[in-house]
Amino acid sequence: MAIKVRIPTPLQKLTNGKAEVECSAKNVLELVDALEKDYPGMKERLSDGGKIRRFINIYVNEEDIRFANKEETVLKDGDSVSIVPAIAGGC
Amino acid sequence: MRNAECGIAPRPAALTEGDEKVVMLSIKKSDLQIIVEHCNAGFPNEACGILAGRDGRVEKVYCMTNARPGPDYYEMDPEEQFRVMKDMRQEGLVMAGMFHSHPTGQAYPSSVDVEKAYWPGTELPNYPDAVYVIVSLTDRANPVVKGYSIDEGTVREVSLSVI
Repeated sequence: MAIKVRIPTPLQKLTNGKAEVECSAKNVLELVDALEKDYPGMKERLSDGGKIRRFINIYVNEEDIRFANKEETVLKDGDSVSIVPAIAGGC
Repeated sequence: MRNAECGIAPRPAALTEGDEKVVMLSIKKSDLQIIVEHCNAGFPNEACGILAGRDGRVEKVYCMTNARPGPDYYEMDPEEQFRVMKDMRQEGLVMAGMFHSHPTGQAYPSSVDVEKAYWPGTELPNYPDAVYVIVSLTDRANPVVKGYSIDEGTVREVSLSVI
């Protein structure tokens, strides 16, 4: 059983239109590398210098990784990961 | 009127009633009141929320927490946003739009609004089918509410149909 990753619309061009993909990884950083391997371009979209980009929210089983172990947040088979762009702005 | 403090996104040259307002968002008057009340409650800071719906019609308004409140900035609380998006999926609704207030600015997307509408470092819209509703509270007794699409580097006004 792998990890299910929900892909947001702006990144679905990289996944051939798939809204959900599967991969294997032990933590979020490994997940980014695994996604990059299968869907080139993903790493640059998601991270910068080994950190998840600001305004990109990543949830593991509904928990925001910023309130867990950030990029080191542990993943296990069967986990569900969601990548969600933040909604922000300002005058 | 140009807001001196906020960067206003460039308006498309051809923004006219006839050829640009092709998208429409329908919203109930009672939902519009909920939006304006939430924005007024957040004053002098910006307030924000999500408009869930289908087929260009708002079915449900989620008033959200501004996780970084300020008079010129909003950022939806990430965990709340996640819960709302899950709730929408379970109810078969999509993100028809989102709203936020401009406490002292006009009802037009700022350059920050446009920048944040795209995936960081790209011009890929984060929520391509969503209408960005902006509530100007410059005159709090007469709030101005307008909707926009932000796509391919272009801001277009969207007709809001109050039903």
